[in-house]
Amino acid sequence: MRAKKEEWLKKNADICIRCATCMAVCPVSRVTPLFPGPKNTGPGAERFRHPEEPSVDHWVDLCIGCHLCNGVCPAGVPISELNLLAKTKYLNEKGRPFRDWLLTHSYLYGWIGALFSPITNYLLRKPVVKKLLEIILKIDQRSPLPNYQSPLFREWFKSHSPKVGKKIAYFYGCFTNTNEIDVGKATVEVLEANGFEVILPPQDCCGFPMLGHGDFDGARKKGEKNLSSLLQVIRSGMEILYTSTSCGFMIKHEYGHLLELPGAEELANHTFELFEFLRKLKESGNLNTRFKGLSIKAAYFAPCHLRTLGIGLPAFEILKLIPELELKRLEADCCGMGGTFGFKKEKYEIAQEIGNDLKRAIDRVNPEIVLTECEGCRLKIRHLTGLKVLHPVQVLRDVLVSRP
Amino acid sequence: MQHDLIIIGMGLSGLMAAKTALDLGKRVLVIGKGMGGLILFSNTIDVLGKVPETLPLKDGLSHWIKEHPEHPYSKTGVEGIEEALSSFVSLFPPPYTFHSLDERNRKLPTAVGTLRPTYLFPSTLSGGVFLKEGNTLIVGFKGFKDFYAAYMAKQFKCRYLTVSLQEEGLPELTATYLTRQMEKEEVRERVGLEIKNSLRGETLIGFPALLGLNDPVRIKAHLEAITGGEIFEIPTLPPSILGMRIFNRFKAYLLERGANFLQGHKVSRVEVKGSICEGIEVFHPPISRFYSAPHFILATGRFIGGGLEAERERIVESLFHLPVFSEAPREEWFGKNFFDSHPIHRSGISVDHSFRPLDHNGKAVFENVRVVGTILSGHHYIDEGSREGIEISTGYWGVKRLFE
Repeated sequence: MRAKKEEWLKKNADICIRCATCMAVCPVSRVTPLFPGPKNTGPGAERFRHPEEPSVDHWVDLCIGCHLCNGVCPAGVPISELNLLAKTKYLNEKGRPFRDWLLTHSYLYGWIGALFSPITNYLLRKPVVKKLLEIILKIDQRSPLPNYQSPLFREWFKSHSPKVGKKIAYFYGCFTNTNEIDVGKATVEVLEANGFEVILPPQDCCGFPMLGHGDFDGARKKGEKNLSSLLQVIRSGMEILYTSTSCGFMIKHEYGHLLELPGAEELANHTFELFEFLRKLKESGNLNTRFKGLSIKAAYFAPCHLRTLGIGLPAFEILKLIPELELKRLEADCCGMGGTFGFKKEKYEIAQEIGNDLKRAIDRVNPEIVLTECEGCRLKIRHLTGLKVLHPVQVLRDVLVSRP
Repeated sequence: MQHDLIIIGMGLSGLMAAKTALDLGKRVLVIGKGMGGLILFSNTIDVLGKVPETLPLKDGLSHWIKEHPEHPYSKTGVEGIEEALSSFVSLFPPPYTFHSLDERNRKLPTAVGTLRPTYLFPSTLSGGVFLKEGNTLIVGFKGFKDFYAAYMAKQFKCRYLTVSLQEEGLPELTATYLTRQMEKEEVRERVGLEIKNSLRGETLIGFPALLGLNDPVRIKAHLEAITGGEIFEIPTLPPSILGMRIFNRFKAYLLERGANFLQGHKVSRVEVKGSICEGIEVFHPPISRFYSAPHFILATGRFIGGGLEAERERIVESLFHLPVFSEAPREEWFGKNFFDSHPIHRSGISVDHSFRPLDHNGKAVFENVRVVGTILSGHHYIDEGSREGIEISTGYWGVKRLFE
């Protein structure tokens, strides 16, 4: 199956007409000439690659994986996927540093970090620890490290008194569970305020970080595990919602499209981004829109993987219903975090340069808070601006007149 | 998502249709498999390049319409074209405005050292009109392959300067990278000084169109203050920064007014019942999404955009399989030489006064589908120099007449 998919992808390199539209949107080649841009690294270089010969694509690891090039290609060349396959071969031959293993396996230790969160957070803020992380692991000491929280979201959920209603399942993702518990809480509260009973099906890391590092086998294992659990709740009549646009993109599209996992299509047909779902409620007149006024100026940033989902900007649409909220859309393409890209010593400065363009867009708006669906973007934007950065659902929860 | 109108295609005609519909208070969905053709063309506004500079364009247009009753311009009329153009121009508030000189065509230099007649252009390009032998210094960048100053200068019998931004041995530079560099004050100081020191009595400075995405007029003024000369931009090969400025402006305008904007996946199927289009399907692996609306606009362009496809013996419209009007039989599709006029570029869709597609008996094929942009029959925009004029005026009137 996998060979077939790779063959299909490579054939598609030849439909590139070299028009260079992708070169207009690549956030990496815009800030550094070290990355030759999607046209050249994807279909351009593909024509010279031979499976038997060693990879010479030393720059392919600089592809940040945003998928923006795919979104603008008039010929339908899967540029990101070509880059990913080339990156996989390059990293398989060159070897991955222990750091990359660590960054893609946070699901193994995140709960420990959360359990001892006061200690973890204290250590992760210490300059000497950051210095050591840089020396030993090549995690840039200037990079924005996450904060751990306890109790875990799952534990909070167990302790909260559930509401009875139409059942709906929630795929919260690792980061919500160990680092941004309030995103999960807010989601549960908003859904309950709309008459739903939230269920948390057993779930594991979606596998997206592994896939991004070319670890197809690792990602496939995660996918299979999640599929069997999620299909069970779907077959019992529930839909699945997610709040992380990257996890969502992985389970809804990459499980089927890139990993070709059996059952992925059924999963995709029943999985929705939270605000996409709320927009459906609104259109059928079933959304609880009893909102208090919120008189602040907020800037909204659409993450790369939200745009890849092809659902428009549902959170932007829903947030606009909040009275007195002054909401501006940020005109920028990428925050530079790229999941784990922005942590890496050899990439930090590129990430920061990409982020600076977003920072300038934020400065032009001069907001009190920034709203965005992606945890990586939130981390990076806090780092770039020092502003309060939230998931849109946290604001939506705060303005509900009658909270459950 | 609920919409009054779905627009298929994100080129200038589709964007113009979307703007017009939003200005009328309609709910709009714009779907593009890429980001349209704005990034590919030089992006001044050609209306009818065939009209000589000695004649006001308006007079030339009236004459042209009388002589060419099948031309898209005969559907809009001269006043209609002017109204549509002013709607386009209104998108660009000062300082970065589009205008004509004396309401006539003017010749602007191209990146291959020729002069090309055009009608509306941004203020940063105006100086090019006054280029004469010896009065202009053409500036290029070392490592930037989309603009060769030496070649241009030779054609225009002017001198040139190649600025080196990079240390020796670094890779080629891209348009977006250089554009971002030019947004930095310290880079402009350096480049400006180098230009100033190279001037030998030239009063004009021809610069590749890389003077920033957001604030080109300020960047131009800064360079002029340093150099003491008048700077003008010259369109480069794709990706066109001039085109990105237009695209970004449209996108911001449309999103601010609540349009839904879906990029990256093409319409895979249309649902047709008799002469009504009920909806369209977009395949986003592994699932398909269905969108319905009472009205549809087809703005998919000709061959590059994929609106038309040439099979071995015939030309087909790829989505609705509309009747295609072609003036030339198969053996006469192409002229003998590349720069000849190729009759294949006269093929297209024939429409009635309200832009509904017609069959060979002159009967409307669809009641709720309108066709706009270069896909229309009766014109040869390459020969005529009418690309943007056709896109803007038909995109505008296609929607106006629909909701009138």
